Amino acid sequence: MLLSLIILYIITLIYISIVERFRNYATIIAYQGWLLLGIALLRLHTLEWLELSFIILETLIFKALIVPAILMRVIRQTNINRVKSSGTSQFNSLMLSFTALVVSAITTYYVADSSVHMIFFGVALYALLSGLILIVLRSRIFSHMVGFLVIENGVFLFSMAIGVEMPMLINAAIMLDILMSVLMLGLFMTKVDDQIHTNDSDSLTHVKD
Amino acid sequence: MIYIFFAIWLAISAACFFAKSRKVVHILCGLYMAVHTIFAAMLWLGGAYLTSSGGFFTFDELGTLFYALLAVVATFVLIHSQEYLKDDKITNYRNYFALLMLLITSITGVYFADNIAVTWILLETTTLCAAGIIYHRHSKATLEATWKYLFVCSTGIAIAYLGILLLSAAASNNSLSYNDLQQLIANGNPLYLKVAFLLIITGYSCKMEIFPLYTIGVDANFAAPAPASAIISTALVNAGFLAIFRVYRLFAETPVFEWVRHVILLVGVLSLIVGALFLRRTNNYKRFLSYSTVENMGIAAIGLGVGGIGVWAALFHVVCHTLIKSSLFLQIAVVRQVYNGYRINRIGDYISINKVGAIGLLVGMVVVLAFPPSPLFISELMIFKQAISGGNWLLLATMLLLLCVVIYSICFRIIKLCYQPNQDELHLSKINRRLSYSALSLIVAAIVLGLWQPAMLSNIIDKIVTF
Repeated sequence: MLLSLIILYIITLIYISIVERFRNYATIIAYQGWLLLGIALLRLHTLEWLELSFIILETLIFKALIVPAILMRVIRQTNINRVKSSGTSQFNSLMLSFTALVVSAITTYYVADSSVHMIFFGVALYALLSGLILIVLRSRIFSHMVGFLVIENGVFLFSMAIGVEMPMLINAAIMLDILMSVLMLGLFMTKVDDQIHTNDSDSLTHVKD
Repeated sequence: MIYIFFAIWLAISAACFFAKSRKVVHILCGLYMAVHTIFAAMLWLGGAYLTSSGGFFTFDELGTLFYALLAVVATFVLIHSQEYLKDDKITNYRNYFALLMLLITSITGVYFADNIAVTWILLETTTLCAAGIIYHRHSKATLEATWKYLFVCSTGIAIAYLGILLLSAAASNNSLSYNDLQQLIANGNPLYLKVAFLLIITGYSCKMEIFPLYTIGVDANFAAPAPASAIISTALVNAGFLAIFRVYRLFAETPVFEWVRHVILLVGVLSLIVGALFLRRTNNYKRFLSYSTVENMGIAAIGLGVGGIGVWAALFHVVCHTLIKSSLFLQIAVVRQVYNGYRINRIGDYISINKVGAIGLLVGMVVVLAFPPSPLFISELMIFKQAISGGNWLLLATMLLLLCVVIYSICFRIIKLCYQPNQDELHLSKINRRLSYSALSLIVAAIVLGLWQPAMLSNIIDKIVTF
């Protein structure tokens, strides 16, 4: 069951490399939230009930509900629907994503030993690379925000690999994750849209040498 | 004990958000620094030094040394900020001071954290506080800088977190305190350790302002009010240095330590290259000083990379750089009051407008360029000595070449500010020479360190580098 959820998670990462509509981005982030919830339930069920319920509630409320809702609201508010047409083609993005998958798999193979759950490590690494690819290839700020959320989800996934032994670590990570993401989304919604056009990241070129 | 102080500092900072007048803000700042004085007194006189507190904090030599520097710089910054922001609206004014106090509190936590996860958490909180300070002017440029700072720092810190998780896996998930980790990872999987170190140094580079995520610190310094830049470019950079140095010490007993040193050396050289090249390119005095920070942190990283006496030199370099760079940023805050800007190509003739300030900048130039009696001369000489004794001639040649570029760029820009004809409008009524004198005193302190290193300081650094 756990493996199926992780495979589904990998599929969302592949899919996110080819989508062009922002609504689809928000939907994938929501799916990832629900998948992380399922993985957390299966992976951390041996924790104390208080710690487990804290993690589960946070994942459910924040990752599965609030963040996707905020992303949808941003899309409605800004009237932006697609990545820039001049951006990298879907085929190239897909190839890059597959390359990242292969690199993650090879790295995982070489790093593998008994002290860490290697599947979690491999998927987290793939999520990290996918997020970075999204940030580099897509020019709109909204895509960068989504790339950041993908990276955060990947780190969260990896922290679950050792969260059974160290619930304090995972709790701290989730708390800060929430704080940072809410702050960034809040800034994006209330300020960036008003003062800097959210159409593309070319607007973010005033602060330079 | 430390939690009580954290509670008091947080309460004062929170109260500052609701202050109704500037006078109340000033009283709260005074109160905040008084609590820091009591804390410092308890450290040195109350027997708290070299003890642990609250399970996650320890008052060791490394943390205490950097805390002493933070206390000095913070006092100057709080005083200079009151003058610098005197025309601001009360809401902006109180928010700035509240965030500054929160930032100082977070940095204090980073210095004394005895657990790698706690260091990481507190570094993340410095991002939140610094972001608020960067956005202080509420302009398009500051918004852009804030967005970039939040975005890159969050991504960097997330990458570092991945490294910490991997390190904890190498330590078989037993403990994340530095002392325990040092023993636990001594025989850890070398590949884990290498990947973990790469991720951690990449992530923390955004705080230490070294390659590869150095840009964000430059943008932050550019957008934040100049006195706050003095904290961001010294105390916050030191927090990043300290976080990396603690990880560096962890790896000393591992089989990959040689490899770790090579990585730090490479990062240091790349930072020095970037710093040297961009010092030539930028047209803004605050960005210019920020690139000088990148260059100096690069030198400190090279010190760690070459090892031996280079480690001692790296620490001494960072300590002295704190005094010098905070002084230069505080001097440049006075420059901004006079010219209402930092444009290198337009502003000038500062020597006839504010002689004390110009002398402060010229002396600062000599000291930051490591000419005797600068303390940086000693640290750089020690690094060269270690490079020569290690037969690393290529490194020596590269450093000398790049330092020539740095010397030319810094001399050219600072002399230009003092002597070239001014083309911008002047605001002579805003000159406050007391602030220039005050900033000059930090440079004087640095020069004293160049001429005479107190035995206490040398002993502390000796103990820090013995691992």
